[in-house]
Amino acid sequence: MAAFRDRFAIVGIGRTKVGHLPNYSARLLQAEAARLAIEDAGLKPQDIDGAVNVKGEGGGGPSGGWTDAFPRVLGLPANVYFHVGRGGASAVLGLATAVKFLELGICKYMVIAFGSDGLTRHRQGGGQEETGRPGLWGAPLGDLAAVSHHSFFASRHMHEYGTTSRQLGAISVSERRWACGNPDAYMYGRPITIEDHQNSPYVAYPYHLLDICLVSDGGSAFVLTTAERAKDCAQRPVYTMGLGYGDVMAKLWWDKANYTQLAVAPAKATAFKEAGIELKDVDVAQLYDCFTSEVLFQLEDYGWCPKGEGGHFVEAWNIAPGGTIPVNTGGGLIASHHHGDFTGFLEAVTQLRGEGGARQVKDAEIAMVTGHGGEVIRPGMCSHHACLLLRRG
Amino acid sequence: MAWNKPLPQIDRDMEPFWDALKRHEFVLFRCQECGAWYWPAAFCRNHPNKPLFGSLAWEKASGKGKIFAFNIHYRAFHPGFANDIPYVYALIDLDEGPMFGTRITGCDPKEVHIGLPVEVVYEDITDKYTLPYFQPSKVGAR
Repeated sequence: MAAFRDRFAIVGIGRTKVGHLPNYSARLLQAEAARLAIEDAGLKPQDIDGAVNVKGEGGGGPSGGWTDAFPRVLGLPANVYFHVGRGGASAVLGLATAVKFLELGICKYMVIAFGSDGLTRHRQGGGQEETGRPGLWGAPLGDLAAVSHHSFFASRHMHEYGTTSRQLGAISVSERRWACGNPDAYMYGRPITIEDHQNSPYVAYPYHLLDICLVSDGGSAFVLTTAERAKDCAQRPVYTMGLGYGDVMAKLWWDKANYTQLAVAPAKATAFKEAGIELKDVDVAQLYDCFTSEVLFQLEDYGWCPKGEGGHFVEAWNIAPGGTIPVNTGGGLIASHHHGDFTGFLEAVTQLRGEGGARQVKDAEIAMVTGHGGEVIRPGMCSHHACLLLRRG
Repeated sequence: MAWNKPLPQIDRDMEPFWDALKRHEFVLFRCQECGAWYWPAAFCRNHPNKPLFGSLAWEKASGKGKIFAFNIHYRAFHPGFANDIPYVYALIDLDEGPMFGTRITGCDPKEVHIGLPVEVVYEDITDKYTLPYFQPSKVGAR
């Protein structure tokens, strides 16, 4: 990898309110988050010469809109503006692409932003339904939502390793405990127990409602610049350390392991090599958590516990406040809000700046952020995995 | 009753698969050089290929397999499924090797388990489309 470690810095973060915000377009929420991030960095809109529109669907879809651009709303004089995205590994992809424009000197300060009106659209009808695009397989057969195919992973892990629904419930309860330390989390002030998880209705067995992430309106953004320029910004910089990617396309259906693991191995190897650290050096982990099993798989695949032992690991409250590895310290997608990997990304920066308040992990120096998702690679595999390592300045 | 669920969105590469279903035949994509089976359509991964799928052809397959993973939907994410819940959606490990996702019909959802032998059953939903559901294999059929 060309030098990545310590070369770039996140100097500003911004997030709007989250939850149900029916009075705003996704584009405005995105522009507002970008405005907050630029202000947080101590910069002016006129300083921003590059902007990235991060979308869950790289090629289109409703987020932000294709007929207009958020820098126009905000009046950013961006010489560079483009869209990237692939499911839930999009903030990290936004960073990875922006890096090149900074490295080449084409841009000095770039804002990477996401906006969602997903909950509003969901409540209006529509939302998570998958219908209508050529190549999509399962809609006539009832494969209609992310839970329709992601729940296979839980089913398979339970079969192979004896993992139980109560153990998955411990992940949901742990994240809710973290959310109760985060006043901005959607589920703040609403603690749950394993019994609440067990008593929540099945959506798609083996997943109960409380195994599943939230859908959220709102916007998230960050400002990225070079390490040299970061010294002149208002906030303590958060530096890039390592970046890695993996994808199930390297091993498709003939490798049935991909139904009980994510494509972590290559992502981990590349990111940790560049960072020059080991897993035990990670102080806080923001693991993509669209469903509880994704967290379980990553705990095993990264090596916090052996393969198949994730259930025991989480039921011993290792990922909860006070545990051995703080995971999804803001509440994650399950208990705070769903802005793709922006949720974990901004929480990682918050922790490294020491601004976590009641949920702050003491002396957090190194944070990991993962992203996951993209097209469902037929049949039933969720495609890619991104690993980003960050350190406090 | 008229079909009130989403219709298949058929990609050109997969048209022969859907045409075969209309004839109540279950076909998979097969390499004519090494015999490897694929679904969905793909280039053969075992050796260099002729251009544009020239090494492969659709061939009649057993339509049998075993349940590899499954879920039971208790929520209808489309109004057309409101009278179908709870229904089972499963990943099937086909006897030829590829994995296939579809609905399991013809049994109580509680009877479904990983490893259950299943076989294809055809549902003609309109004049133009037939769906490949799977159901538990009949005793002695395997």
